[in-house]
Amino acid sequence: MIVLDDVHYRYEPEGIDALRGISLRIGEGEHLALIGPNGCGKTTLIRHLNALLLPASGTVMVDGLDTRDRNHHAHIRSGVGMVFQNPDNQIVGMTVEEDVAFGPENLRLPTAEIKNRIAEALARTGIADLEGRNIENLSGGEKRLVAIAGVLAMRPRYIALDEPTAFLDPEAAGRILKIIDKLHAEGVGIIHITHNMAEAALTQRVVVLHEGRVYLDGKPDDVFEKVQALEAIGLRLPPLRALTARLREAGIAVRSDTGDPEEIAEQLIALIRQKGD
Amino acid sequence: MYHAGSYAFGRSFIHRLDPRVKLAAVVGLSVLLLWIAEPLSFLLGAALLALALLGGINLKTIAEAVRPLLVFIVLIFAVHLFFHESDDAVIRLPYLGLPFSVSGAQKACFVTWRFFSLLVAALLLTMTTRPSHLIAAVRWFLQPLKKLRLPVDDIAVLLALALRLMPVLLGEKERTELARKARCGHPEGKSFAGRLKIFLSLAHSVLLGVLRRADELAAAMEARNYRRGGRSSFVEMNMRLSDRMAVIILFTAALFFLALNSRFG
Repeated sequence: MIVLDDVHYRYEPEGIDALRGISLRIGEGEHLALIGPNGCGKTTLIRHLNALLLPASGTVMVDGLDTRDRNHHAHIRSGVGMVFQNPDNQIVGMTVEEDVAFGPENLRLPTAEIKNRIAEALARTGIADLEGRNIENLSGGEKRLVAIAGVLAMRPRYIALDEPTAFLDPEAAGRILKIIDKLHAEGVGIIHITHNMAEAALTQRVVVLHEGRVYLDGKPDDVFEKVQALEAIGLRLPPLRALTARLREAGIAVRSDTGDPEEIAEQLIALIRQKGD
Repeated sequence: MYHAGSYAFGRSFIHRLDPRVKLAAVVGLSVLLLWIAEPLSFLLGAALLALALLGGINLKTIAEAVRPLLVFIVLIFAVHLFFHESDDAVIRLPYLGLPFSVSGAQKACFVTWRFFSLLVAALLLTMTTRPSHLIAAVRWFLQPLKKLRLPVDDIAVLLALALRLMPVLLGEKERTELARKARCGHPEGKSFAGRLKIFLSLAHSVLLGVLRRADELAAAMEARNYRRGGRSSFVEMNMRLSDRMAVIILFTAALFFLALNSRFG
């Protein structure tokens, strides 16, 4: 369990208050989407989860360990993996295996165990065939997968991903989302920053941040029901969600939890036929 | 993006040698190359070239690696050709008044060949050894310095980062240059002042980009539990029979060259 209690953070010397009293509980194995307009504090928040940033006031507890205690940092950082937005700024090694080995090497694991971890992480991300490849010869999507594998090699209980599908084509983005789903199914807690509402709709819980505060928090259906509140801070729902929310506002009962256009169309056809009868 | 001189995947016997043997051999042979008499250095350089070819490095790749240093090589050749002091017949080149002698031409050839051979030795090491293995070998050789409190593990990580960031920086420079061309096409012109202005502005943008990246990379390393001090390594270094044989052969060859040097040098 990760518990944030009234967390404040200010960037100095600019004097920007990035977090203004965030309180959140993130359960083990939970799949959570963190959304919000640019500059609302999403990246600052996830950097608190593995003690890269420490709160100016308030506390962040990871599995009962306070991030302000530096003696806990090694344990916290191997428990909460962090995938940065730009893989080029995260990848340290020249080749795929070298980079995936970086985390386990920092944990001072023996060579045989590091090799096991490399093989395991590459298999979990489906890139075992890239093992010896030079990083510079990989596509953007492949580099993202290497960055995820590098974090998985530390066997974290939670992974925080900062816009993992940004700038990727739909196929590469789909591949990343499948892996995130698989990791969640294996029991890894996922904290997923995204600007893509359709991606957020696939999670168990959506937390909306605005000006450094939790603005909305709940199941995707409940959060996306609040169309006006979301639009007030510049967030737009995916077209299908917006349609079903508008219909329900007008008193037409349409379920949208699956987000499947075929299913929604069938519900509408059934309603129209009922009216016709 | 492939750069001549970076690791090229292969299965030659040189690729399979222990990185410590390769590193020690290349350093040792390079010192020997500079130590022995000039005619013998031709022989040793030729042996290094033959080893490079056996290691799967073809002449085209060597030429690609030499190309960026061509101006430097020509300069070395010219300096030794025209500024070599000798007593043999000297012809003064018309207009320039520079002296030319047969011994000067010989000297220029020998020095240039030595330089070229050193380059081949370096290629032999970097193109047949994975960077991680090379860094592990450097770390192994530096281990005794740990007693003097030298941060050996941190030096190894620094080396790895330098190797990793080189292509990233080149990419950053190319992107910045392209973005500038796309927006204004360098209206400053082709004058020296104009070029200097372009260079300074490009250097400023690249430097800012580099600092931003360095900041992010440091955070990413910290997030993956990097701390100063000891680390383990995924690179396994085992001295096999073939490595021991290579050490014996190389040692014998070095003694052979030293013996020839003392006899004819």
